[in-house]
Amino acid sequence: MKDRLWACWRWLEERYYRVPAIPRNLGVTALFLWEAYYASGILIGHTGGENNSALIFVLAVALISLLTTGYFYGIVASIVGALFINIYFMEPYEVFSLSRTGYPVAMLSMLTVSCMVCALTARVKKQATEAVRREKNTKALYEQNEKLNAEKAAIQLQSERIAIRESILRAVSHDLRTPLTSISGAASVLLESPDISEKNVSMLSDIKQDADSLIVMVENLLSVTRVRDGTMSLKMREELLEEVAGDALLTTRRRFPDCKVELELTEDILYLPMDPLLIRQVMVNLLENAIRHSGDQEHIKMRLYRRDDWAVAEVEDQGRGLSPEVLQAVRAGETMPLNGDATRGMGIGLSVCQSIIKAHGGFFAAENRRTGGAVFRFGLPAEGESAI
Amino acid sequence: MSEKQTILIIEDDKAISNFISRALTASDYRAIPAFTGREGLSLFFSHGPDLVLLDLGLPDMDGLEILSQLRGLPREAPVIIISARDRESEKVRALDMGADDYVVKPFGVSELLARIRSALRRADRMKLSQGIRRDVYQIKDLMVDLSKHQVLLAGEEIHFTQNEFKIIELLAIHAGKVLTYDFILEHIWGPYGGTGSNQILRVNMANIRRKLKENPSEPQYIHTELGIGYRMLDD
Repeated sequence: MKDRLWACWRWLEERYYRVPAIPRNLGVTALFLWEAYYASGILIGHTGGENNSALIFVLAVALISLLTTGYFYGIVASIVGALFINIYFMEPYEVFSLSRTGYPVAMLSMLTVSCMVCALTARVKKQATEAVRREKNTKALYEQNEKLNAEKAAIQLQSERIAIRESILRAVSHDLRTPLTSISGAASVLLESPDISEKNVSMLSDIKQDADSLIVMVENLLSVTRVRDGTMSLKMREELLEEVAGDALLTTRRRFPDCKVELELTEDILYLPMDPLLIRQVMVNLLENAIRHSGDQEHIKMRLYRRDDWAVAEVEDQGRGLSPEVLQAVRAGETMPLNGDATRGMGIGLSVCQSIIKAHGGFFAAENRRTGGAVFRFGLPAEGESAI
Repeated sequence: MSEKQTILIIEDDKAISNFISRALTASDYRAIPAFTGREGLSLFFSHGPDLVLLDLGLPDMDGLEILSQLRGLPREAPVIIISARDRESEKVRALDMGADDYVVKPFGVSELLARIRSALRRADRMKLSQGIRRDVYQIKDLMVDLSKHQVLLAGEEIHFTQNEFKIIELLAIHAGKVLTYDFILEHIWGPYGGTGSNQILRVNMANIRRKLKENPSEPQYIHTELGIGYRMLDD
């Protein structure tokens, strides 16, 4: 009940203050003066000569001061009220006269009372608005504080999550790599022992190859989680690009001994900051991608060179070229779809490459060569390194 | 050699230890597995192996601690570290503490066997030479003559700068062993001159490689150990 009344009041108040100031103030003044006049008229009809019109007008003036803004309307109303009393509610009626003894005193006291009421109500109103403002401020501060607290908690939770994830990643990487190493190792020990039939040799080499590609897959997944979440920063260090590339090629040759991959160098010495393990992984992925998906295993070539402020590495093949879907995805800088016929499993590897290169502030591109085959190219920023 | 050479494998993962043992036995070595650091140390005392394979991630002891204990003993045996790829600083520290070589998980059997052969050969050489300094090192077609300050590649002299020659000399003396960047820097630029000269070393190496017409993807003489250092190949 109380709430409903309060709501009703709030609604009225809101409607009231929506009317523009001047018509609102004028209207209120006129309304109350008229009501005071009307009420005094009724009263004088009942009581005869003795009347309380002065009190009624003081009440009206007080209400007017309360409901209007500023002192002006209250003062005007008290003057008009005094005139009304003089003219309509004091003998002689209907005439303005100052003959009646005591009238100037009554007039003056009424004006003074009105002014005081005005001043008081104005002050009360000011205090009220001040209080509202303060309350709003306090509320805003409180809300902000709440928000900050929530953010702090979220950050704490986030960093805890990162710590947990890092330890999980480390554990997973160790727990997956170790058994995969022993699977691949055991298979290669068996492969080299003399009493294994030809049929078993092919099965063993399948086991070994699959274990090896699982190892690569684990490393890729670890890197991509690392780079995409930004949970681990890049371990930047200045490296010779040719040494990283050499390592990548040696790794690839070990895994695919029957394929022919070459490294072509320039005279330029490309010594620049990078996360060498991640860049090596990009190179391994691109080489493996060419070996597995281009249909060409004889003419795969990695080339290193400097172009303007970029240290560029590219892997080219003479195979069947890239599908429009792959080209489109690389061009748009989108991350590859992880499956689908068009990419035939290129997804994860290339996606990892893109993420790693992006984290280095480099560029990643792919195109079909005019002479046939595809080329994947990435560049790392190498400004100011040309001096050496 | 009449007797089989003995290799101690300190590795906590049974499956890995098992396949290494099989591979070593197949290659005519005697393999002794140890699954904890303490067991490894006591087996080292009782068997006196010719070489130790040491995993750095053991459950009971820090691998580097084991290494320093092994290095403090009068009986020396080459140590090959087994470690994960992403723990470079650990490998570098192990090498600087006297480990001879390292393999990275996941490693292949042939790679491991090659490292073992190389380390054993070098240990034999050390025993034979007993600290006598050689003047000429011959590695395939590369001849490094320390007294004449000369490098010949297939009979043709190649001119190197002072520092380039010093690097080649150092690598040749320690042929087969991984030399960390810090080791090389300290030997060539001195203990205090080494700071910040990593770049000088790397650029010198890039130049040496160009003069030797070496492709880092097919190293004939100088092998890059990414993020760790360099090794002169000895076979």
